[in-house]
Amino acid sequence: MSCPFCEAPVVAGDAFCETCGHSLTSPACTSCGAPAVDAEGYCERCGLRQPTGRDHAELELPDGTAGITDRGLRRARNEDAFSLVPLAPRGTVPVPESAATVPRRPADADARDGGGAPAVVAVVCDGVGSSPRADDASSAAVEAAADALARGLTHEEAFALAGQAVRKLATGPDDAPACTYVAAVARPDRVSICWAGDSRAYWLPDGTLLTEDDVARGGEITAWLGADYPDVTPRTRVFTPPGPGLLLVCSDGLWRYLNGYAFPAAGTPLGMARRMLRHALDSGGHDNVTICLIPLGGTHG
Amino acid sequence: MGDQPTFTLHVDQNKYLPTDGREVHAVLTVTSSGGAPADVSATEAAEVIIVDTSGSMSGSKIRDARQAAATAVETLREGAYFAVISGTGSAKVVYPGGGRLVQADQATRAEAIRAIGKLSASGGTAIGEWLKLAGHLLSAHPNAVRHAILMTDGQNNERDSVFESVLKAWSGKFTCDCLGIGTDWKTGELRKVAEALLGTVEFVRNQHELEDFFRRIIQTSMSKTVPDLALRLWVPQGARLLFVKQVIPELFDLTGKRVDVNPLTGDYPIGAWGAEEREYHICVEVPPGQAGTEIRAGWVKLVRPDTQHEYAKGNVLAQWTDDLALSTRINHRVAHYTGQAELNDLIQDGLSARAAGDVDGATARLGRAMKLATESGREDTARLLNRLVEVDPGDGTARLRRNVDKADEIELDTVSVRTSRLRKSEEGS
Repeated sequence: MSCPFCEAPVVAGDAFCETCGHSLTSPACTSCGAPAVDAEGYCERCGLRQPTGRDHAELELPDGTAGITDRGLRRARNEDAFSLVPLAPRGTVPVPESAATVPRRPADADARDGGGAPAVVAVVCDGVGSSPRADDASSAAVEAAADALARGLTHEEAFALAGQAVRKLATGPDDAPACTYVAAVARPDRVSICWAGDSRAYWLPDGTLLTEDDVARGGEITAWLGADYPDVTPRTRVFTPPGPGLLLVCSDGLWRYLNGYAFPAAGTPLGMARRMLRHALDSGGHDNVTICLIPLGGTHG
Repeated sequence: MGDQPTFTLHVDQNKYLPTDGREVHAVLTVTSSGGAPADVSATEAAEVIIVDTSGSMSGSKIRDARQAAATAVETLREGAYFAVISGTGSAKVVYPGGGRLVQADQATRAEAIRAIGKLSASGGTAIGEWLKLAGHLLSAHPNAVRHAILMTDGQNNERDSVFESVLKAWSGKFTCDCLGIGTDWKTGELRKVAEALLGTVEFVRNQHELEDFFRRIIQTSMSKTVPDLALRLWVPQGARLLFVKQVIPELFDLTGKRVDVNPLTGDYPIGAWGAEEREYHICVEVPPGQAGTEIRAGWVKLVRPDTQHEYAKGNVLAQWTDDLALSTRINHRVAHYTGQAELNDLIQDGLSARAAGDVDGATARLGRAMKLATESGREDTARLLNRLVEVDPGDGTARLRRNVDKADEIELDTVSVRTSRLRKSEEGS
């Protein structure tokens, strides 16, 4: 075998090339295979910026609630993020804070069977492509918001905490990571939604849009989380489901392809979400795609 | 402490490539604080002053040259090592003798100026010999900022092969700035010296200004605090570095100066630095990529190769996209310096064509150069071009002028490497 940098022969297992001194134990490149990925995430042989774990991720909760996020086909990385947290039914002890980002098989699986409406917190954020480190912004925001909502805080409080988390990432006015925001606390009889920007919520199967984009005529968004917009006010809405159905919370990487689209009518929420992702990718996959599907009212899941 | 000068390296580019795009351009701006003023004396300086004393220098020229050399000696900073060489068909140390440099102080300066006062003009011109002697003297000071100033009024009498082997042998060992006076010297010859020794070529059109040129060049040399830096450029496997050019303060093609570090990395020498800012234009040809993929197309480090110290670094990126709004976005800095390089090429090719009697070729190139010079704010260059070529303001047709002053031609030739900075109003997004 030879050193990926200077091409001098090296012995397998050596930590450093004896000729050029370069480390031989760096992570392997996903494209050329050289053990040469540096701290900035670029391969020091072929140059490729390495895909991150966020390129494609799926999550399924015990009640069937499903989330998928995907890089899409045109973007270098996935700057969307989502969080799904099951909540204990009203009147029971709230899920501890630590459950906010690591959904676990909760005691409320039992609580749900025992009566009381189960609830799910869903948060989707889409990093603003023109801002720096937008992927950090979206993940900080979903974590802070989901944590707050799971602790029983209001939408306004959760939005403020998410905003704080995103603003902390900025090093100056010209370096302000930013993202959109949509959060839902979903129960079979009551769905409350809070948003800023152009990430959306829909009611399925009929595809009713539940949010209104904060978008100017030219297409640019007019509300977001970021240090360059500290006093943004989110919008909220409460929706009463007309019957059993699914709450869809998604980023524009999906909804830009929904015009005329027939939503899947059957299957598990995860299966349906995968089909919707396939549709977005088949339509061009121009942006990151994030889809959260929460079954409400018993016929699903 | 603030001992080390601080360097910053800024990369300006449009990283987006169309899906069939292969060429990545970037302009690198390197800025040095130059370190604390006290550090200037901490850096050793070694200076050799080379005065042409060939027969053609007799009369007023040698008087002006003596005055200029004396001014250079006075401009040396206290403690700088120096020597003065007189150049004819051979090279001779005028001061201090003994095959070494001496430190500048009140006594040595006075002795040097006395020795310079005795210089007289006779003999031939062997520029290679002069440089060889300067190189030997400077090589005793490997840690110093090593610099020579060379002035001549005539063409080199050495065989090309001899001259070129000297340049090759001493390339990178010291820096040499060249001055030509009168109209009998060859710009091409001094340009070879400057290219080999990372220096400049200037035309001293008014001979009595020679002293001012010497003073300015020695002042600049004395202000350098860091010797022998290099741009260390990495490109990915399968990619090719098409060119590396200094574009500010003037054009200097570094492409051929690569010293391999490993198969993917090479050092491009950029000489000694004081408190200053320079810009470089690099172009990398990358392997084809898919839409959405991002690569590091170039990794730039500012290093001192002898100590491996790294002063600054930056990434040149490439990301393929099928969004034409992104990939067709023009980087104004890249476009500006591409234009400046084209202007230089047009002038050089135009002058060559003119010298070879190719009237059509010369007319076309110099006429186009005039247009570019005017558009990019190079009024001085446009003014000089106007003395060689006449452009009809109505229909833009160009015509070579007759009876061109040789000095105008030399001046145009030497200023063609100058560049204008990008005007603020043109920077755009």
